[in-house]
Amino acid sequence: MEFFAYFCSRFLHINTTAMFQRYQSSQHRLLWVVLLILFFGVSQPKAVSQTVSPGIDFFSGVDFNFRDINYKTQYEFLIRLNPGFKWDMGNHWQLSGQVLIPIVNQYGTEYSFFQINALNVSKEFKIRNLYLKATAGAFNLNTYGLDMKAFLPLCDWFAFEGQAGYVGFVFVSPRWEIVAPNRFVGTIGGDFYLPQWNTQFRGVFGRYLYRDLGFELEAMRHFNHTTASIYGRWSNNEGFDAGFRFIIALPPYHRKHRAVNVRPISNFRTSYSVMYNIYSNRMYKTDPEENERDGWFSRDFLQWGSHTMEPDFIIKDLRKQ
Amino acid sequence: MTTMKNLHILIALMVLWLLPQVGKAQQYTGTSGLIHVPSAEMYHEGDALIGAHFLNKHMMPDVGFIYLGKKYNTFDYYVSLAPYSWLELSYVCTERAREMDAQGNITKWSKDRYASVKIRPLKEGKYYPAVAIGCNDIWTAAYYKFDPNIQLYYMNWYIAATKHFNFSGNELGVTLSYRHFLRSYNGKWNGIVGGITFRPSFFPQARLIAEYTGNEFLLGMDMLLWQHLRLQASVKDFKYVNAGLCLQFNLLGKKYKY
Repeated sequence: MEFFAYFCSRFLHINTTAMFQRYQSSQHRLLWVVLLILFFGVSQPKAVSQTVSPGIDFFSGVDFNFRDINYKTQYEFLIRLNPGFKWDMGNHWQLSGQVLIPIVNQYGTEYSFFQINALNVSKEFKIRNLYLKATAGAFNLNTYGLDMKAFLPLCDWFAFEGQAGYVGFVFVSPRWEIVAPNRFVGTIGGDFYLPQWNTQFRGVFGRYLYRDLGFELEAMRHFNHTTASIYGRWSNNEGFDAGFRFIIALPPYHRKHRAVNVRPISNFRTSYSVMYNIYSNRMYKTDPEENERDGWFSRDFLQWGSHTMEPDFIIKDLRKQ
Repeated sequence: MTTMKNLHILIALMVLWLLPQVGKAQQYTGTSGLIHVPSAEMYHEGDALIGAHFLNKHMMPDVGFIYLGKKYNTFDYYVSLAPYSWLELSYVCTERAREMDAQGNITKWSKDRYASVKIRPLKEGKYYPAVAIGCNDIWTAAYYKFDPNIQLYYMNWYIAATKHFNFSGNELGVTLSYRHFLRSYNGKWNGIVGGITFRPSFFPQARLIAEYTGNEFLLGMDMLLWQHLRLQASVKDFKYVNAGLCLQFNLLGKKYKY
């Protein structure tokens, strides 16, 4: 409580002592109760989910990157295969792994060898209305360590989110090298979702992977199978940046689920940055198929935002049948 | 000879006009409009486009697209999106010559990039026109507007009004716009600009365009083939051809006749 009071007074300039004194009066207590009912009372999500029995999925797709930073060349490309697996062990435990295998590499020698993009175990769980996901292992951007994600939907249209991690680096190329975990990272922010327009606004600030402090604002428009977004961000490393992003759920959209499944990767994601600030506002991803459209949590666990839309994939569970 | 060649290209594109479906694009910027003149027409909600456009040197700005004292033909490519029925966003790269060989052929290119935004605050009604405002190269302008050393080849803002009239199933569109380029070297396209469009009843998928850009008259047409392939061709002074094509998808999965 002292920390909360200090945080409010130091960063938000809110006098918590006066706030709690006001709370003592019955009128303000009633106001708080009404607000809590408004936020929490209508926060039951729509049930647009489908559960499938545990199984293991093998998948692959293409990780497509291009950049335009060299005056002598039009574009430089980095195209990699990204095969991986996800083992759903039940009760929202998951073991996942993914590697990146270069096919076309014009980015440089550090990308000429395969990379580990994920090898971790995760668990989704819930405390009251707070959704949590803990992950341990290797993540993308050559990182490994511990990560915790939290999502608190207050109502259908607003939620708080936060992420915290303690990570180090592991490099496969050009030689094996492991840097012990040496940095705390974390972001906190909020999400607005307007269901009438399938539009989502996301704003977060925090300490990012390369020890920079910054914030990011993103506006997303969710369509059938596609999300398009524009974003702006600032970091004390490299200043302002902006760009756009496309996330496309890849067909087939009707799938059969067995104990062992082989399928294409769930989505194609490409992002464009005007300033190409690659050492700013960067945060690792823990899931091999993580993207801004689906968020951090699986669809059958958290129904909020785009998870209340029609699902991208209609899955027929043969094991249940 | 070049004129004849251009004429053949135009005739070939007009033959394609006999195939199904429509257009409404100021296509070289990726946004809706006429040819060089912006209008208040908008794409459908969810329309996404990716395409390229051949740009005749006679339609290029007088600064920036000159190599060794000569203007040259070039092309641009773009991606654009209408996330809502009242908003369009696009991102365009226009190729610039960086090196030429002894014969004057361009051997290496660089590019000029800009982003466009178009908003329609007023939808067309029975008795009043649609009104749209927009801006090209908004990012660079926001950053470098007051720096005269930064070139803003395509930076302009505009306000446009468009009204359509129907008679016997035919559609006549009238557009009137005010446009202002930030840099003086594009001042020839400043001021009141406009044009008319005609969509015949027997083939509503196609659109004929005549426009005045503030400096020249343009004639052209556009259409959408098989609901996904959009074409536009235009000619200046009956000699200088611009043409482009793009792939168009509706991300909401809707199908529109035009």
